[in-house]
Amino acid sequence: MNAFKRDKKEEEDGGNPFQNLEKTTVLQEARTFNDTPVNPRKCAHILTKILYLLNQGEQLGTTEATEAFFAMTKLFQSRDVVLRRLVYLGIKELSSIAEDVIIVTSSLTKDMTGKEDLYRAAAIRALCTITDGAMLATIERYMKQAIVDRSPAVSSAALVSTVHLKNVSGDVARRWANEAQEALNSDNIMVQYHALGVLYQARKSDKHAVIKLVAKLMRSSLKSPYAACLLIRMACKLLDEVDEGTELLEFIESCIRHKSEMVVYEAAHALINLGRSSTREIASAISVLQLFCGSPKPALRFAAVRTLNKVAMTHPAAVTACNLDLENLITDSNRSIATLAITTLLKTGAESSVDR
Amino acid sequence: MDGQLLEPTLYTIKGIAILDNDGNRILAKYYDKNVFPTSKEQKTFEKNLFNKTHRANAEIIMLDGLTCVYKSNVDLFFYVMGSSHENELILMSVLNCLYESVSHILRKNVEKRAVLDSLDIVMLALDEICDGGIILDADATSVVQRVALRTDDIPLGEQTVAQVLQSAKEQLKWSLLK
Repeated sequence: MNAFKRDKKEEEDGGNPFQNLEKTTVLQEARTFNDTPVNPRKCAHILTKILYLLNQGEQLGTTEATEAFFAMTKLFQSRDVVLRRLVYLGIKELSSIAEDVIIVTSSLTKDMTGKEDLYRAAAIRALCTITDGAMLATIERYMKQAIVDRSPAVSSAALVSTVHLKNVSGDVARRWANEAQEALNSDNIMVQYHALGVLYQARKSDKHAVIKLVAKLMRSSLKSPYAACLLIRMACKLLDEVDEGTELLEFIESCIRHKSEMVVYEAAHALINLGRSSTREIASAISVLQLFCGSPKPALRFAAVRTLNKVAMTHPAAVTACNLDLENLITDSNRSIATLAITTLLKTGAESSVDR
Repeated sequence: MDGQLLEPTLYTIKGIAILDNDGNRILAKYYDKNVFPTSKEQKTFEKNLFNKTHRANAEIIMLDGLTCVYKSNVDLFFYVMGSSHENELILMSVLNCLYESVSHILRKNVEKRAVLDSLDIVMLALDEICDGGIILDADATSVVQRVALRTDDIPLGEQTVAQVLQSAKEQLKWSLLK
């Protein structure tokens, strides 16, 4: 029964309902958006078609885009969640092409401050794509509130938008740093990550502020693995610039014992690429990479062998310990891994290993 | 060696793509204007990427200076791209989230036909995973919560009592209004 139904459906629309879409026809269909009351199902389908065309690389002229954009604004009348979310997507896609996009500011501000969490987070992100320098002051208060919101989705959306807004105004991150500092204490791993990103952006021009931030966070082990990776990168950047930094180096080395593989690898990668790690640190990095070489996950094996390949150029003797693991990877089903393993062995291998 | 040290930034993802089994684009997003600025360059890259990956089930590849992690199922290919110095495991976590979210949205029926039928929701999910190159969320459960699946699409058995009541109420309301 099910198969029969499906065959019939496939006959009707030739397999792909989005194949052979004509730009002009779809844009004409968009006039349906003006009907009252709005038919959410039908409009969502048409909007999906427009988004699909844009995604396929179809170019819209300014007039076409503006017309479609204005038709879309009519859909704010409907309370259908999916439709509303698609409208936000449409706003983001068309904001760079259409004119007078600023017209949706008040609708978006209303959604952003409303009760529905599902609207708020997405509305913030859409609003920030149409915000310009002049408008920033009007939304500033709401944005600061959103950053410290108890809903992680809302908080993340506001923090990520802060990062994007640097193209509009260079100092937003600095102005909202207090709120970001508060968000850094969040239990949510993504909020913590995004907050750290904003804080770094706010302070990156002031080296001493970055040193203070890193020093503080080094002691308070971050819960989020993403944030921990970012912190390692911040520490590396500092090590590259300052002369002293034993503490920073120790911190990166301690991350090798982190419980998340992502952070362990980030730390090992950092130690090897820093260029000022001592033999002891290189050795501990190599020993975790050696473990990764035997992992069932291809991405992990790839990451490990790629980094070993790199360190083999500067410290070939240290990599010799992994020769046996690397030899196993020569026959790996992933060709990139096999190639990297062979080139690494060429740098470290000795005559004694030729027989094997 | 400085080129290897990554600038501490939230911008991690260069691109995300879902292709069909002919290498044609179903959905694709590129977040860095310096990487494949035109749609023509993007499609050439996708064809190239597909040719290199569709037979080898290898999960990771370096191509055109990008690290691409990928995963396939029946007639679909999912890709996440990052810079060649990017932490591969971070990219992998995004790919897994993308795949699991789509799988959840399509109720485990991950194939082209189903993706096209729910294209709107899949687009929303993509938007929840990555915002302009920044990882917004990498947890599939929370992504699916955020995209607001249509409740009436869920089979009766999987709905909560509250959802059933709600849809019954709405149907009643509409029948009265007619």
